[in-house]
Amino acid sequence: MTDAGSGVAIRLVGVSKQFPGSSRPAVGDLSLEIPAGGLVALVGPSGCGKTTTLKMINRLIEPTSGAIEIGGVDARSVPAPELRRGIGYVIQQIGLFPHRTIEANIGTVPRLLGWDKARVRARVDELVDIVGLDPQVLRRYPSELSGGQQQRVGVARALAADPPVLLMDEPYSAVDPIVRAHLQDELLGLQRRLHKTIVLVTHDIDEAIKLGDRVAILNVGGVLEQYGPPEELLRAPATDFVAEFLGRERGLKRLALLTTDDIALIDGPVLHADASPDDAQELMTKFAVEWIGVLDGDVLRGWAWARDLDGLTRVGDAPTERFHAAVAPGTPLRETLDRLVLSSTRVAVVVDDANRYRGMITIDQISEGVT
Amino acid sequence: MSPLAAALAENGPDSFIWWDWVDRNRDVIWDRTVDHLRLTVTAVVIGFVVALALAALSLRFRRLYGPITWVAGVLYTIPSLALFGLLIPLTGLGFRTALIALVSYTLLILVRNIVEGVDAVPDAVKEAADGMGFTRGRRFVLVELALATPAIVAGLRVASVTVVGLVTVTALVGEGGLGVLILDGLRRLFPTPIVVGTALSVVLALVLDVVFLVIERLLTPWARRSARA
Repeated sequence: MTDAGSGVAIRLVGVSKQFPGSSRPAVGDLSLEIPAGGLVALVGPSGCGKTTTLKMINRLIEPTSGAIEIGGVDARSVPAPELRRGIGYVIQQIGLFPHRTIEANIGTVPRLLGWDKARVRARVDELVDIVGLDPQVLRRYPSELSGGQQQRVGVARALAADPPVLLMDEPYSAVDPIVRAHLQDELLGLQRRLHKTIVLVTHDIDEAIKLGDRVAILNVGGVLEQYGPPEELLRAPATDFVAEFLGRERGLKRLALLTTDDIALIDGPVLHADASPDDAQELMTKFAVEWIGVLDGDVLRGWAWARDLDGLTRVGDAPTERFHAAVAPGTPLRETLDRLVLSSTRVAVVVDDANRYRGMITIDQISEGVT
Repeated sequence: MSPLAAALAENGPDSFIWWDWVDRNRDVIWDRTVDHLRLTVTAVVIGFVVALALAALSLRFRRLYGPITWVAGVLYTIPSLALFGLLIPLTGLGFRTALIALVSYTLLILVRNIVEGVDAVPDAVKEAADGMGFTRGRRFVLVELALATPAIVAGLRVASVTVVGLVTVTALVGEGGLGVLILDGLRRLFPTPIVVGTALSVVLALVLDVVFLVIERLLTPWARRSARA
């Protein structure tokens, strides 16, 4: 892949849309900065103008007022069909051409742009690889493919001319939850490799949180309630509407976005194997626990019950058990919490690949990290 | 008893087809068949071009669809004899008059099938085409008409079969292809040319039907494939 198609910034300045015959604007005075290479999710209830906003970017809907700049260029300065050839577009119903083979479908925009056959063919082969399709499907027609495969073809077709911008309108609403999760992961992988500017419309807040590096929450009439990284929205919802829209499990959702790297680890009741049971007792009293962690050098051996230390000369002689909640650095806090609550010691330990001890996490710290 | 029936009865079943006549008039029969085909194909081709223009107009300006199909419908219901009566003072006897009549009978079915075929194209496909930067004209030809192909070809099949039958009537204005044979037989109360003309006209209709079927299969390989999942 070349960098030619890397993302460009999109700016919406005071954009509004009033449909004829409707009393209230679908979108009213919306300003939004979408950074180059970012994945921005527009989310909100039906009637919030999220799809209208998306379609104004590629001018499938013309704004009533305001300006849209793509890569610093006013979208209205280019004829609409030409503008659209430079913007990938993926819709919920996919809209593959039923009368064309998958190969022809993927090659649509390059052919519109007048590429020669060999170049289109080479690009199609490349895209099949990028979106993870079996090259066997190229000769088939859309009706012969499963929903998940069709969606991949839709993405390949949108990326065909290597556009800097990709617009996606509820791309995963029509596929079943398992395929959806899979396609979402693929999109994140794609984004990491291709650095497109992606604007994605969804009504599913969890999808927005999972995919967006920024989330814009819109209210009815295209009113921007809050715009920021999902972690920020979950930590500090700007309005009651946002808080309500984010849902009841705001804390848990946030934990899914934070990792063990985001909170300060404590040393915890952990001692070297050569330490005396008296030292261990002192630590256990300090932390108010009935067990002690045992280290060999900086490698974590496990933990021992306080009662098993009676009559021993060194802590290391007690029988130890492995920590149930031993996690690698960078593990999401939601997963860490899940393991923590199921462990006997009620703590999670962070250890690296070589089982070297990095620190400990208690439920109090997770709680502090979220608030 | 009608004169024709009387003649048939008098000559008996043996002479219902007089093969000798057929043999002697091979060239004439061939020429009439070619004429018939030529008139049919010309009428259907011109009818298709006119219908395409009218359909495009109807699709672009929706308000025109009603009036256009109304006029085409009136043309379709005028009896052919009456239509000739109207046309002869304007265009005289001959090919032109025959053609105008024949074309007018194809318009209703063709316009309606094209418009309905295009209307049946899913909105998502049209939106995707727009989103990818098709111009209006390209979308119409490469996407909408292409997807309406089965409906359009179905219209062409019906139109051509109808025209094959109507061509025989144009013998009355000096054309008629195989209709000339039929008219000749009727005038002379001689059944052989009637039978030959009728039979060949039916065969021509069947052949055209098959030809369009083959064309449709070749043009729409996508329409017969279905999900393998």
